[in-house]
Amino acid sequence: MLKKRLIGVITVRDGLAVQSIGYKRYLPLGKPEYLAENLDRWGADEILVMSIDRTVRGLGPDLGLLKRLGKVGIRTPLIVAGGISSKDNAIEVVHSGADRICIDALLQDNPEEVRAIAECLGSQAVIASLPVSAGTASYMWWDYRSKALRHLATEVCALLEDGVVSEVLLVDWQHEGIHAGFDQRLIERFPIPNVPLIAFGGVSHHEQIEQLLNKESVSAVAIGNFLSYREHAIQHFKMQLQESHLRGAVFAGSDARV
Amino acid sequence: MKRRVIGIVDYGAGNHNSVFSTLSSLDYRCHISHDVSALEKVDCLVLPGVGAFPRAMAGLKTFKLVDFLSDWALQGQPMLGICLGMQLLAERSHEDGLTPGLKIIPGEVLPLKDPRWHIGWNSLLRMHRDPLLEIDELSHFYFNHAYAFSEEKDFQVYQADCGKRFPAIIRRGSVVGLQFHPEKSQTAGRKLLKQIIDGLCHA
Repeated sequence: MLKKRLIGVITVRDGLAVQSIGYKRYLPLGKPEYLAENLDRWGADEILVMSIDRTVRGLGPDLGLLKRLGKVGIRTPLIVAGGISSKDNAIEVVHSGADRICIDALLQDNPEEVRAIAECLGSQAVIASLPVSAGTASYMWWDYRSKALRHLATEVCALLEDGVVSEVLLVDWQHEGIHAGFDQRLIERFPIPNVPLIAFGGVSHHEQIEQLLNKESVSAVAIGNFLSYREHAIQHFKMQLQESHLRGAVFAGSDARV
Repeated sequence: MKRRVIGIVDYGAGNHNSVFSTLSSLDYRCHISHDVSALEKVDCLVLPGVGAFPRAMAGLKTFKLVDFLSDWALQGQPMLGICLGMQLLAERSHEDGLTPGLKIIPGEVLPLKDPRWHIGWNSLLRMHRDPLLEIDELSHFYFNHAYAFSEEKDFQVYQADCGKRFPAIIRRGSVVGLQFHPEKSQTAGRKLLKQIIDGLCHA
């Protein structure tokens, strides 16, 4: 049967991997390719490389980073986010080694271009990133560029309802980097049914992962900062989640499974 | 021992860099090309692919590769199709209208519908024994697709189940198709790639 996934996230700013806290504090971790190599070796189910400053700075996707990742020889499916503002960008990113792309600003700026990307690459290759908060009253989307909370735009909802994207990266931006911070109401209150969700932001504990994976709409859990605190973090999580929906822990260089 | 030479077919719709990297690390000499004169000299052709079927077939036509690939298969020479590359082996696809395929393995490509996508790691269900394709039943492989091959089970060696069953590995003589991405399936994928290519080239 199809397994749910544990995704390792590498947040990149100014070309360096960083620990990101609440979308406002950034602590350097090192070269992204070294982190990717670790996640690959530890048997992550997918790796998401998210360059958070490319769109704001108008730089386009970081193809240089993809080239460096290619040299490392990553054998894990790669999702790339950051700087993708056109169909041509998306094609370049896939040709440079990405298996899937993740889009944030373009969802708001040009939904029609997102449809064009999905027609070209297939919707299975397209993920929508939505930084959101459940708030007291309603479900709000965080526009990180203008630093304002907004309601989810009708056009964005239409992209999800029409199956233009295959999954939503649901980012709890307020609790990003906070131990066990992910607000599970974000899953329960997600306004559009039948959209597979990837929970990200403040996921740090195996019991929390188990709770999220037990929800039918959650197809994957993504973890960033909390994979950086110990060696073989992916395998440790998976060994603690043996009865879960995940593929078992895999150890590089052998076919062994736990 | 002479290193085997792999031709990775470049028709503008492939994730050929990942395939190149993985096959090179398995000690094959790899060439990425759309040039028939270069591809006809290799030991095994690999047809990768990401994206939509019509655009991929258009790419193969642009580079005049359709007849070359069909003839290659007809002559019993080794070929491996990966993901969209497997679907291209079919007679036709229903993706964005009806598009003729390479017609190397009978069957057609249809949308998955429910669920609409099959994304993630899945195990395989054996349909019949094939010494070339012996796979540990605990192995999982990475899938990422919305369309799947459909045929009368004559050529299916393994299926996968995502709520509905569909062909995951097909084989007709020296041509093998994999619906998943072995190049992104870590140790299990690398092991299978080596097994298939060495097996096809040795046969």
